[in-house]
Amino acid sequence: MLRKKMFRDIKNNLSQFITIFLMVMIGVMAYSGIEAYMDGMTETGNKFYTENNLQDLNVMGTNFSNDDLVTIKDIKHVKDAERKLSVTALTDNDKTLLLNFIESNNISKFYVFDGEKFDSNKSGVWLDYFYALENDIKVGDTILVKYEDLNLNEEVLGLVNIPDHLYDVRDESELYPDRKEFGFAYLSINEISEDYIKNKVMKELNITDIDVFNRVMPNFNYKDYLIFNSVMVDVDNNDYRDDVKNTIEDKVKNALAIINIEDTSSYVTYQGEIDEGKTYVGVFSGLFLFIAMLSVITTMTRVVKNQRIQIGTLKALGFSNRKVLFHYIGYGFWISIVASIVGLILGYFFIGNVFINLEMEFFEIPNGHPVLNSNSYLVAILVVLVIAIITYFTGRSILKDNPAETLRNTIPSVNKKSLNITTKGIFKKLSFSSKWNIRDMFRNKMRTFMGIAGVVGCCMLIVCALGMLDSMNHFVDLQFSKLYNFDYKLNIKSDISDESLADLKNKYGDKTSMSLGIEIKNGSKRESNNIFVTDADNYVRFVDKKDNYTKVDSNDGVYVTYKLASTKGYKLGDKISWHIYGDDKYYTSEIIGFNKDPQNQNITMTREYLESLDIEYKPDSLYTNYDLSKIKEITGVENIQDIESLKEGMTGMLSMMKTMLVLIIGIAVLLGAIIIYNLGILSYTEKQYQFATLKVLGFKDDQIKKIFIKQNDWIAIVSIIIGLPLGFYLTDWLFKTAIEEHYDFGAFITIRTYVISAIGTFIVSYLVSKLLARKINKIDMVSSLKGNE
Amino acid sequence: MKDKFIELKNVKKSYIVGEKKFNALDGVNLSINQGEFVVILGPSGAGKSTLLNLLGGMDKVTSGSIKIGDNEISKYSDKELTRYRANEVGFIFQFYNIMPTLTVEENINLIKDVTNTSKDSKEVLKSVGLLSHADKFPSELSGGEQQRVSIARAIMKNPKVLLCDEPTGALDSKTGVDVLKLLREQADNDTTVIIVTHNSLIAEIADRIIRIKNGKVESNELNKHPKNIDEVKW
Repeated sequence: MLRKKMFRDIKNNLSQFITIFLMVMIGVMAYSGIEAYMDGMTETGNKFYTENNLQDLNVMGTNFSNDDLVTIKDIKHVKDAERKLSVTALTDNDKTLLLNFIESNNISKFYVFDGEKFDSNKSGVWLDYFYALENDIKVGDTILVKYEDLNLNEEVLGLVNIPDHLYDVRDESELYPDRKEFGFAYLSINEISEDYIKNKVMKELNITDIDVFNRVMPNFNYKDYLIFNSVMVDVDNNDYRDDVKNTIEDKVKNALAIINIEDTSSYVTYQGEIDEGKTYVGVFSGLFLFIAMLSVITTMTRVVKNQRIQIGTLKALGFSNRKVLFHYIGYGFWISIVASIVGLILGYFFIGNVFINLEMEFFEIPNGHPVLNSNSYLVAILVVLVIAIITYFTGRSILKDNPAETLRNTIPSVNKKSLNITTKGIFKKLSFSSKWNIRDMFRNKMRTFMGIAGVVGCCMLIVCALGMLDSMNHFVDLQFSKLYNFDYKLNIKSDISDESLADLKNKYGDKTSMSLGIEIKNGSKRESNNIFVTDADNYVRFVDKKDNYTKVDSNDGVYVTYKLASTKGYKLGDKISWHIYGDDKYYTSEIIGFNKDPQNQNITMTREYLESLDIEYKPDSLYTNYDLSKIKEITGVENIQDIESLKEGMTGMLSMMKTMLVLIIGIAVLLGAIIIYNLGILSYTEKQYQFATLKVLGFKDDQIKKIFIKQNDWIAIVSIIIGLPLGFYLTDWLFKTAIEEHYDFGAFITIRTYVISAIGTFIVSYLVSKLLARKINKIDMVSSLKGNE
Repeated sequence: MKDKFIELKNVKKSYIVGEKKFNALDGVNLSINQGEFVVILGPSGAGKSTLLNLLGGMDKVTSGSIKIGDNEISKYSDKELTRYRANEVGFIFQFYNIMPTLTVEENINLIKDVTNTSKDSKEVLKSVGLLSHADKFPSELSGGEQQRVSIARAIMKNPKVLLCDEPTGALDSKTGVDVLKLLREQADNDTTVIIVTHNSLIAEIADRIIRIKNGKVESNELNKHPKNIDEVKW
């Protein structure tokens, strides 16, 4: 019979129980969804890395011979090693392809979406799956690629994903991969023809006649002249990776740099996304869950308290305390259990899937899927338990009284002391509705607090979501308008001749820069970084902490970025000891200044300072404002990047962010609306009899509605005042802690965002109040007055 | 004093309970003069409160007519009923129904938000003997004092009719007497006072006694010799 009572009570208070259901569901959904997405990213990545045998080390050099390969393979703890030639090439329709020529494919194995497995004897190309999609290339199509004098006309044999190409950008200044313009391709080393190698060798030897060549090199085997500029190394036990690294350094002279796979941009970016997301898990989903739970607890407490007379009746009828308690625990228990299950399912299928799919547009990784782990189940169980425990304690506090006491209606107590302030001074002059609302809020502090917390959370999340977009836009503006003060960047080939370089400077100006891969000695640790050597005058500018221009022109030492300085504890006047990759000589430089770089946390020095260390300045970039829009190829230049296309690359990333943020805003608004609705219902139920009295006294429905809405408007306004700055701090904190280490940008939120968030929050609150206020039309004076507070 | 100030003709009020129709009032005819102190008696479920609700413009008749003065309120729209409640009628409830978060004086001044014809609150408070409690909150008052706030609120608007639903039902006898004295004073000042009660003793002080049973008027008689309140043995 009690079960029947429970179902009927739930039916009679349907809107309150529906909101409890929704809040638990949304809370659990947000939490488990984001968890499922993050764990899905981790598991998908790990699975791909393991199943497709991602290498542990990349050994970089100018050329690795077969002997080098054998040497590496013979090192203890090396499981396998493969050579690779990676070059940047252009297709016949001016797209850039990173060509990789390989001998075998046992390390970083292809995941073939369409076509066939790698076979070194097959002539053809295995193409980047995303690039192929974007450019509508299918297996069996033919592509034309040109690298120096090597013209390749290749049939597409397969469309693939590869574990060390989850994320590929043409240049480090690009953040978002432009798959239409840039992709990777793998071919068998056998695709490099004997003629091409022969011609190359003849050129190097300055021989033009083939007969002369044949005489000079009678035993010429072109395979001996194939160039491999990297070796992928698979180590059997990662504990020995440093030993392997050191042995390679000792034994292989060609090894200029040995990079852990965890330091490569593909790996770092993917892992960064996971780490970044993990902070979001804590912040967004935790906040969602927290707000939802506070609200559910308030509601459940109220629901049980409102049953006071019925609890007394049940006791008077002889029901044991235990039976009554279990009856009331059942209310929240069954609802929260169903809501948690629905939340878990929706979290997995809706949030998890949507977010993972968004990520999978960014990262080239197959079979991305969300993963629901034990944390999500635990949280769901915890939610159910907390609700049950709170209901238990509320019920117990009522059950403590004897039945006669319980059956007596509690007189609405008004603590005069707490309301004293509202009977004096300016409060005295306030209208009836203002006084009534102020005191009602004082009397129902918990409900008011919950209302404020809910709306603050909603407002904060909107500010944060929009603020992240603002901050990203600000970053784009800082990077591409303030710091980069050029129209085109020419990436100069590393093997450019002095004449060609002089020619370039002559034609396009002499504003250049050079990047040096270095290793910094920091105590016993060695950390990789890079030095930006500027000879670009004001074509590349620098800013201080407050984004004001600052000069990098002293030739007495190096400048480091603020973030690098703070993470490594560098101070002005400190000395840094470093060496260039491929050269063992250490240099010691004094830190003479700081600069802010939103994208790279590195070291900057002038050309003059570099040369004062007896290091040759070999520019790798040239900046110019010449109109190069019609020029596609320049001798000695790897590629030409125009500032607008660099900027456009960012908009792709921003649009992905937008989709995620829209979802977050959507959930925030939904949650905020439900919380306001829920607390509104509570407040309405509790005041129903007072409203009915007002109606009997002759108050018009509209007058009563105004009184009712006024309180929610105040709560919204107070919450907005609190929520706006908190939104800023949340955004700033997210940017500072969650973002990958090499970025440095804090929150930059425009007035527009604050205005939109404030108005948006207020409108949501106002509309929900309006919706609730419609109930006032239906107040039945007669029945409302039968039972009062 | 005006004859037939309140006139009900064949008033019916029915409710649907489950699938059955229930007639709370089943053809009530009665008239009340202005300034009369009227007591409506009857057992539970007789239709007393329904009658009071209809007179107070809180509910609508199923059929029949109710005239208060020259106005047929049974034909009023919701809007007109709101205006009627705001200006013409004062309501006193068994459980007072005063706003717990407003002080005594604020509770009374509440009426200023709905009508322009309200009296001076200090005067009204004085008349019900609550002037010294003006700044107190209801929870600081006794039941009788709370009911006096309710009366003060009702008379604040200078109503033509005072409708009282068991006004002494929640009070001890001495406090009940004080409340009744106050209500009698209103009738003496030409306000029609209608009290719905179980308590037949109250009938002894009434000008008119109406008995209701099963939704019908059983009797409607004038009390030729109403007793003074102090004469009644409570």
